[in-house]
Parts: sequence; C-alpha cells; structure tokens
Amino acid sequence: MSIIKFHDVMNRFYSGEPCGEQEFDMRLFQAAERMKKKFEIRYDPENPVPSDASLADRCFAAARELYADVGTYCLDTSTVARFSLDEIDNALGCAPNETVWGEGSDAFGIRHRPVGSDVPVFVWGGLQTLLFSDDETALRVYTACCRCRSVGGVIGGMVPSAECTGDVKADSPHEIFPYRRSALLQRRAAAEAGRPGMPVSNGAPKSVAHLAMYAGVDGFRPSDGIGTGGVPELKTTFDRLQRVAFGLAADIHISAGLGAMIGGFSGSVEGAAIVAAAGVFQSLLVNQAQVALITATPIQTQSRSTRNGIWVSALALQALNRNTHLILAGAHGDHPSAGPGTAQYFYETAAGSIAGAVSGGHSWGATRKFKTGRVHDYGTPLESEFLGRICHATEGMQPTQANKAVLALLSRYENSLADAPAGLTLHELYDLKCERPLDAYIDVYNTVAGELRGLGVPLPDYGQQD
Amino acid sequence: MENIDDLTSKYERLHSAILGMDDHEAAAAAGDLLVSMVDPNDVIDNIIRPTADEIGDKFQREEFFLPQLMLAGNALDAAMSVLLKAIPASGEQSKKTVLIGTVKGDIHTIGKNIVAMMLRTGGFDVQDLGVDVDASTFVKEAVAREADIIALSSLLTTTLPYQRDVISELKSQGLRERFRVLIGGGPATQEWADEIGADGYGKDAGEALAVARRITGGE
Repeated sequence: MSIIKFHDVMNRFYSGEPCGEQEFDMRLFQAAERMKKKFEIRYDPENPVPSDASLADRCFAAARELYADVGTYCLDTSTVARFSLDEIDNALGCAPNETVWGEGSDAFGIRHRPVGSDVPVFVWGGLQTLLFSDDETALRVYTACCRCRSVGGVIGGMVPSAECTGDVKADSPHEIFPYRRSALLQRRAAAEAGRPGMPVSNGAPKSVAHLAMYAGVDGFRPSDGIGTGGVPELKTTFDRLQRVAFGLAADIHISAGLGAMIGGFSGSVEGAAIVAAAGVFQSLLVNQAQVALITATPIQTQSRSTRNGIWVSALALQALNRNTHLILAGAHGDHPSAGPGTAQYFYETAAGSIAGAVSGGHSWGATRKFKTGRVHDYGTPLESEFLGRICHATEGMQPTQANKAVLALLSRYENSLADAPAGLTLHELYDLKCERPLDAYIDVYNTVAGELRGLGVPLPDYGQQD
Repeated sequence: MENIDDLTSKYERLHSAILGMDDHEAAAAAGDLLVSMVDPNDVIDNIIRPTADEIGDKFQREEFFLPQLMLAGNALDAAMSVLLKAIPASGEQSKKTVLIGTVKGDIHTIGKNIVAMMLRTGGFDVQDLGVDVDASTFVKEAVAREADIIALSSLLTTTLPYQRDVISELKSQGLRERFRVLIGGGPATQEWADEIGADGYGKDAGEALAVARRITGGE
C-alpha cells in the first residue's frame, strides 16, 4: 500500500501545474538527457542482458531523480502531478513483496524476484487481444491454455456475441459484450481445466468494457487482479485512473504497466531505460499497484525483442530489483514481429522472456501479437505452453549465461524483424478436438527446444515433462 | 551575387543549423541567403527539401528520436518561414495541409505524433487534432482549415471502424472528393484501406510521407 492516497493523487492532478503535452514531452527529454549524463548510463549492445550491478544501481538513481523532477502528466487535466523523493522512498518502503493472485489450490504467491533468483515466475498465458471467430473456438482455446501447467493465469481476447453483430467499436456500448463474453468463457474454461481458482484477466481498451468483466458471480474476481496502466511516456488519463479507482473501491489486486518508447521522448536508448524504470514509480504512486510492469517498445520496429528493447527492459528490471523489494513484471517475449507457427516467433519470445525472467521479472504479457489486425484466431495454446516453460527454465539462471543465450537467439532473428514471417492461424496449426498442435507445428517447437537446450536453456520437447 | 565558395558556405550553414536543431540560427542562415540575392525557391529545392529527407532518414536509422525530429522540424519551419515571406503569395511553394488525429475511442499518441512530425519535416502544414477525435470533428475541421489530406491513426482493432466512419461522414456530406484520406496504425493494412476506400495507407511514418506526397501530386 502506498503512503500517498489515491484522492491525494487526484487532487494533485486537479491542482497541479498546468502544462501543454508537448512541453511535458520536451521536459522529459531534457531530464532523461541530463540523467543519462549525470549517472553515466551507456547502452552496451554486446550485453543485451546486462550483468553490471553498478550500472543497474545508477539507472535506479537516475530514474528516481527523473521521476521526482518530471512527475506524471494527465491528458484530461493537462496538469502534472509531482511526488517528492521522500514520497517515492516511502512508497517503495510500504510496497508489498508478495501478493496472492487466484483462489484455493490454484492461488499463486507472486513474490519479489531478485536478479538471477530461483523464485518461481508467475506467467500469464492466453491470447491477449486476439479476435476469436466464435464461442466454441474461444472456449476450447482458453481451456487448453488453462491446462498448461506452466502458466499461472490466462488472459483472454475478444469473443463475438449475439448482441453485437457488426464491427465492435471501442468506447461504444457494443464494446462491452465481446469482453464480457470472453470473461465468462475464461472462467468456464478454468473450471473445465480443473483449475477453477486460477486467475483470469483481459484488457479492454476502454474502462466501461473493462470493468463490465468484473460484474456478476461468473465475472472476474478481486483475486484475478485488474490491469490499469497509463500512457507512454509517464502520462495517464481519467480512463486509466477509473480502473485504479475501481480496483481500490472493490479491493481488487492492481497491476500497472508503463512502458518506455525507444525512439520516443526519452531521447535515447539509455533514456528509455531510465524512463522505463521511472514508470515503476508512477505505477506505485499514481496507480497504487502491487505489481509493476516494465516494458520497452521500439517505435521503429514492430517487436519488443529487439536488441535495444531487451537491454532497456532488462536493465530497468535489474535496477528496480536490486534496489527495492517490489514485485516486478515485464511483457518482454510478447509482441514478437513474427507470427505463430514459425521458429522466429519462438526465438523472439525466448529471447525476451529469458532476459526478463533472469532480470527478476514475472511474465505479464501473455502471447500478444504486434500485428493481429482483423485476422481471427491468430494463435494457439502452444505459444502459452512455450512461454511458460521458457520462463521456468530460466529460474536460477544468471545474467551472464542468459546474455550468451540471448545473443545466440538474436543472431537467428535480428535481421528478419522488418520482414518477419506472418505465420499461420489456429486451424492451420492446431487440432482443437484433440487439444494438440499439428505435427508440423510440433516439429517447429521441438527444433527450437533442441536449439535452446544447446544454449543451456533446459526446455523439453513437446509433451515431455520438465 | 557572391562567389560560389561563399554561397556554398551559406548553404552549409543553413543545413547545419537545421540538423543541429537550432531554430534561431536556421532563420538567420535563411535570411543571410536572401541578403545574398539567392532565389528562395532554389533554397527550398536545394537545401530545405534534401535536409528534410535527411532528417527522416536519420529517424528511420534511429540516429534521431522523436525530440530531435521535433526540434529539427522547428528549425526547418523557422527557415521556411523566412524564405516563404520572400516568395509572392501566388508562388508555387505553398504547403499542402494535413489534418491528423487518432480516431474516436483511441488515446494512442505516439504513432500519430511520429507521422505528424515526419509530414511536417517533409514540407506539409500539419494540423493535429489530438486523440479520441470523432468523425464529425474530423470533417468539420477539415473544411474549416481547408485541409488537403485527412490522416487517421488507429492502434486498436476496435477503433479501426472509426476510420471507415470518417469516410462515410465525408460521403454523407458530399465532401468525399474534396479531401484525400490517409490511414495508418498497428492493425491497419492496405487491404483495410482498400475495403473502406481510403486514398492511401502508410505502414510506417516514412511510407506515410511518401504516400502523402503521392496523393497530393508531389513526387
């Protein structure tokens, strides 16, 4: 629990310093440049998974000072809320180091993970943002995801509903139905998989649809948590803050993710690492989150597993994990540029996930794709299985070893990000009746698993136990 | 006219000022060229446009990030402002206007901002309506600001349909032929652009600039 109360945060937005958005962006740029120089933060492309403790500590100090200087900008009030260094430190001191998500025997104690520790990684599986073609497909996919023992929770997509036959438009009444439908199917899938208490989650673009998923006995529960988030970089909106207010009012676990944009107003790769780390302070103070996510999204390349993206996320995670007892997460292996069914998809997921897990992050992004567009059923449960297993395979691994594996993986896909293979859809890759990938897809999986074992990552073949 | 070395040095001063993101120096350098009786159209064609392309290339190569793109754009604008004053109103160098915004229900700013800055450095007059903009506002503002292009950004599958709504609104008001419509954003594709009858689709900021130039009759 943060020392600063939420109503105090809101008051700071209402009475905060008026500021234009562009002015705030430029202040952020100038502060990031200043901190980069003052704390001597330097990007090292040869070590995308850093193992320099001093660098991580300097990044933490830079982020703490930057956030106290810059604060958070609210797009609705056009004002800045600021927090002093003492307030930041108090919030850090009061933050929990463990939180239990889910219920009964399916509950998971999500703990602070020091760098290189063997504390179990909580992994969200599922197919976030996916468009399902129909109810039955969604239910079967969700059930298969829930059966993956390597994942602790399942995030859903969007399921068509009888109440909405045309385009589903954000911020319209129709947006509620497909998300609400997904929530009910996710809950049912968890029960059918024999894990009725496992956390399930989803992320609708607008709060009205988001909060509708928590209504009724079959909807999401407080123990499922609620994702709140903000707007890059170091910004928020009333829509995001409504989720925070709802989470606090209904006693729901809160997670918050605030990413840095590589190429954005943080001004440099190093600046992005500082801003990514500073986003954790916003998650803690503004969003009152128990779990803070660190993400870095390159604006030129549609993949979060670029070399500089991995370095930014890993350094920011290590910075926070070395200097606090916070529960931190990342969404590193998600958003690959390649589509499902391809080796490159697995390479990108593995590189990001290895870096994130070794740097002390839980895995919070599930198997999102960068370019879902209007393609239906663009993914299978196998990607969740892979994501979970790769995260657990790296528990206890040290950054130096992880760095070697990530460098080897980067060499396999780094030059193919711009024209990555689109991959295939569910029905081309997976037999839903048998709940099993098609043989050709299993071959791709096993080939990559073999390569990963050769890199020191103990990932078993499909169907074999860890 | 001055000798060629002096002029080359003045051209280089303007080029360096823009890339160095110094708007005061860029304006002064542009003014200095006018004092030397250089045709402002030549300065725009031989320095401003190539430098704008260079800025775009630097951004694509990740040598410039958003702040540098914005500051270099400011410097470029400062120079252009000086040069345009020296061209008669009927001159051929008037800028095309792009009205840009993120569609209703969508608060994503970054992609839209990048495209806006690329268009601006590429020589367009960019007017930004911000985020969460509904179809009727796009159309009303396009008319009021005499836009040439309406550029629509959307990062969510559930906000893509609002791009179609803008085109429908233009049609219903009998204004479809008056404006070019350019779309972009994570879930948008060329197929989607074709389906809704947009005039162009840019998969990234560089492509958006190229398409904007093409659909307004530029190169």
